Amino acid sequence: MFYSVYELPTHIFAILMIAFFVGFYWIGALLLRPILRQFVKHTKGANDVVGYVLSCFCVFYGLLLGLIAVSAYQNASETGTNVTREAAALSALYEDVSRYPDPYGQNLQWLLRDYTRYVIKYAWPLQRQGITPVEGTIRAQAFQEKLLDFTPQTRVEEILHAESLRQFNSFLEYRRMRLFSVSTCIPSVMWYVVILGAVINIAMVWLFDMKFLTHMALGGLLSAYLGTMIFLIAAMDNPFRGEVSVSSQPFEALYKHMVEE
Amino acid sequence: MPRDVSHENKKTPRRHSPLATSQSRREFVRRSGVAATLAAAQGLAPIIFAGCTSGVPAKGQPIKIGLLHSQTGTMAISETSLRDVELFAIEQINAAGGLLGRQIEASAPDPRSRDDLFPKRARELLSGGTAAIFGCWTSTSRKAVIPVVEEFNRLLFYSVQYEGNETSKNVVYGGLVPNQQVLPSIDWLLSAAGGLRKKVFLLGSDYIFPRTANFIAKKYLATKGLKPAGEIYLPLGHREFGPAMQAILASSADCVLSTVNGNSNVGLFAGMASAKIDPDRVPVLSTSIAEDELRNLLPEQVQGHFAASCYFQSLPQEANRQWVEHFRKEFGYDRVTGDPMEPDWCLLHLWKKAVEKAGSLETDAVRAAMLEGLSFAGPGGLVTLDPKTQHTTKYFRLGRIRKDRQFDVVYESPTPIDPDPYPQIAFPGWKCDWTDGGLTRGPEITIDGDV
Repeated sequence: MFYSVYELPTHIFAILMIAFFVGFYWIGALLLRPILRQFVKHTKGANDVVGYVLSCFCVFYGLLLGLIAVSAYQNASETGTNVTREAAALSALYEDVSRYPDPYGQNLQWLLRDYTRYVIKYAWPLQRQGITPVEGTIRAQAFQEKLLDFTPQTRVEEILHAESLRQFNSFLEYRRMRLFSVSTCIPSVMWYVVILGAVINIAMVWLFDMKFLTHMALGGLLSAYLGTMIFLIAAMDNPFRGEVSVSSQPFEALYKHMVEE
Repeated sequence: MPRDVSHENKKTPRRHSPLATSQSRREFVRRSGVAATLAAAQGLAPIIFAGCTSGVPAKGQPIKIGLLHSQTGTMAISETSLRDVELFAIEQINAAGGLLGRQIEASAPDPRSRDDLFPKRARELLSGGTAAIFGCWTSTSRKAVIPVVEEFNRLLFYSVQYEGNETSKNVVYGGLVPNQQVLPSIDWLLSAAGGLRKKVFLLGSDYIFPRTANFIAKKYLATKGLKPAGEIYLPLGHREFGPAMQAILASSADCVLSTVNGNSNVGLFAGMASAKIDPDRVPVLSTSIAEDELRNLLPEQVQGHFAASCYFQSLPQEANRQWVEHFRKEFGYDRVTGDPMEPDWCLLHLWKKAVEKAGSLETDAVRAAMLEGLSFAGPGGLVTLDPKTQHTTKYFRLGRIRKDRQFDVVYESPTPIDPDPYPQIAFPGWKCDWTDGGLTRGPEITIDGDV
């Protein structure tokens, strides 16, 4: 159910996330703050105590959020790099097999084009839904079968064939990495910790003794930023989902070149 | 002077009573909260709902269909293009709004040219809610799938030319049957245009289609007072045709009627070339060669031979030119179209028409719509679904292979030929009429027996 947020435009996703946290804070300030304040209202210098605890908590929580955000960014970035590498290996392979004698060369190029088209038109929409596409494997196998069908007749063809096989293996490696990345995401347990931390953070702010409107304004600002941080992590998590995701652009550029050639 | 206390009495309690002050603030907060919530809801609702609806596909779940073609193994050379033309048709239908307001979602597993995997994959597709299957090439694979589609009461759309002698209410046949292909081919070979040939050598892959097609061919030749010059079957995928060439030369055959399938054709034409058999003297007339198969054959080995078909890419019709251009633009300019790609395209559109007419995906409703008769203007001409046999009417065309791996059309039937899966010369008493009870059985026929 949570994954449906990735179908939203990014700005709507961000607004919703901020609105949720600010709304949560405001509603809590209205309903829960009077109850929570019972715990500290007779304590002398309660605001100072709450302030110290909150500062201490924020150090740990901030570190956690920061590390998770960096990890999510690195993951997305690495996936993007692998996709580019897969497309580059495919492109090199396409050039290599173009040197094969007919009908092998033409057929091999045709199979690579078919694979690229599949990745753009069918695999990517599935990846965006978090589904690992399976039919690309069939196309890769069809290419491999055809490639291994070729028997080099000259020394030049032997070298070319060896290079094509090497390039094909690189391509398979990057392809496998892309497929693994489809289901890569921050573990659920980490999300539980992040959400729990956000709730504790907000609850601590409820404990402050301040004028009501000041409470709403300052707490609202803090909650809005919390929402922004969590939105950022969520948007970068699941590298193929949502608008902030790895695109099929390298494959699209390659396919355009293949078809126009 | 008396003091006017009424004013003080009104203000004093409000200024000093803690209770009154608290109530007032709570009231303010409550009202502010309600107002803010309402304002936020009113302000965000259009954005939220707009966001939620954008990018969400059409009403309802997608319609699942199965594309059951070998993408690896010996038949991949032929079958992969059928998958592509089916995907091409589906993409166009989806782009135009889908079918019954729903998108079509194709699943294309790979039966790997293995007859044992075809029914397995078909079962997986149908168990997963697939509405119809478009698939198979060889008759053995089709015959393996038929019990599965009958068990699930779904439709199999089969677009390849085949031997006939078969009927199933769960199969719609879009390819040529022998009375639309083999018999007109023999007529042409025996005619003046074909060189008045008399010694026809029957060469085929060893499975149902070649054996049944040649059985019908032998019966037909017998009606002309002729016997085949020879008859040889080689395993599917076999590439060593040396002994077959020796047999052809020894028989003094003046033409070869080939039902060799898949990449065995590479061996056949290489064998013809190495045996130095001149296509002008002993041409091969193939029932299973199209532009797609020619991509894998050397032009100097196949040039001058013939193929019998219902469609060639080189047909000059405007509709065909546009279709070919569109396909190549989408899949690459080195791609070709041919038979059975065109029949496959037509079948998918006939299914679409039937579903629209029925307003349902239920097999019985779709079949009922088909039995009322449907036509589709395909790239190769008008195709009509024959309600009696669930086959299609077809033009018969004969092409001579050019150096550029295309065909010069040397003969075209003046009108589409009606399908007859049970030609009476071979299957006396057998008849199929789904508008009148289905199959009428005649005496049992042994295909491998002497004619």
